[in-house]
Amino acid sequence: MNVKIEAKPAFAFLRVELAPGETIIAEADAMSTMSAELDMTAKFNGGLLNGLIKKFLGGESLFVNHFTNNTSQTLSLTLVQATPGDMECKTLNGESYCLERGAYVASDPGVKLGIRWAGLGSFIAREGLFKLIVSGTGNVYFGAYGGIIEKEVKGEYIVDSGHLVGYETTMKLQPKLSNGIIGSFTSGEGFVTKVTGNGKIYLQTRNLSSFTSWVNRYL
Amino acid sequence: MDIDVKFPLKPGSTAAEITLRPGQKIIAEGGAMIAMSSNINMTTSTQQKRSGGIIKALGRMISGENFFLNHYVAGDEGGKLWLGTTHVGDMDCKELNGESLVIQGGSYVACSEDVSIDASWQGFKNLISNESMFWVKATGKGTVIFNSFGAIYTIDVDGEHIVDTGHIVAFEEGLSFTLTKAGKSWISSILGGEGLVCKFKGRGKVWIQSHNSSSFGSSLSPKLKPK
Repeated sequence: MNVKIEAKPAFAFLRVELAPGETIIAEADAMSTMSAELDMTAKFNGGLLNGLIKKFLGGESLFVNHFTNNTSQTLSLTLVQATPGDMECKTLNGESYCLERGAYVASDPGVKLGIRWAGLGSFIAREGLFKLIVSGTGNVYFGAYGGIIEKEVKGEYIVDSGHLVGYETTMKLQPKLSNGIIGSFTSGEGFVTKVTGNGKIYLQTRNLSSFTSWVNRYL
Repeated sequence: MDIDVKFPLKPGSTAAEITLRPGQKIIAEGGAMIAMSSNINMTTSTQQKRSGGIIKALGRMISGENFFLNHYVAGDEGGKLWLGTTHVGDMDCKELNGESLVIQGGSYVACSEDVSIDASWQGFKNLISNESMFWVKATGKGTVIFNSFGAIYTIDVDGEHIVDTGHIVAFEEGLSFTLTKAGKSWISSILGGEGLVCKFKGRGKVWIQSHNSSSFGSSLSPKLKPK
């Protein structure tokens, strides 16, 4: 399988080449073009119950599409997320990683998508009640609204809510007021998320809620 | 290339930097102009050479294009014209030599004088998947400039290829196409979120946009104020 992320960082999309027999899994509606001979089947995203939880609490689609090459030549397809922005690839070697809601786009068949309770702290920080965990072996492709920045965290780091894309499963997320009670709201920052732990996090440079607040002023 | 056009700032904020020869004319949709040198003369008209008058203009309005087209003519020393887009995204151009290019309504930006734009193209008559999409056909000799939501890339079809209809920017008229289901069964197609897709057959080039505004709009709509 040959996957290239093109048109970074503004309008990143995946150009995938599948060799005979290979499969790639993608969220619903991710396909923009594909060879006519590829087989596409829709399956529940990890089983019915898991799929439902991922849809209503995880922001993911209930169904995922399996694209399989059942011919004897290499076939291609392009996959994309709904929001314009950057995409990144993470290679898992048996470990797990947490992704924010809606970030997942596609993955190798060896990667499983699961959910785990994130704790009330995470919920108040507006990072969601459940964490989306990707685990297994293979590549997982995720996207963001805006550009993606990788950051190594040792100890603690503060991230504005709405800007976290991925974080290690061992990290804890806690809400925190950015300044004091009054300062937080006059500064416009409000609640922020304190990430505690060691490892890599991914941040997105833009924030969909800020954009929609701006659009709302014109509606 | 009939029109000297460059596309800086690809793919996120693409604009068209056009250098006109003395006396050269370009026709652009209303509202596309960002800046121009002072010796370019702009007139607005409902018609375009060989594009008919009011009736064709109404056709263009229904197809999502602007009712009025602006004619820009350069003076004796030539001039520079910058055109922008309504879509956040990319721009590209194609040189036509008598053949036609079908462009998604709303993606057309500008063209040479000898290219005519026809909004009555009914090829996607039974388009169920996305009613708000209309198409224009550009025919003639000259350059056509179009834009997209997202980055533009091309696919050279030789045989068959499937494209999600919301991602088509333009395609050469020689390609034949059918609307078909994406998966092997209807259930797969609808649940998989793809629904109806366009299957191109034959040989020709298709310009694809990486993202589509309806999916982006759907992801925004839960957060937008209700009307």
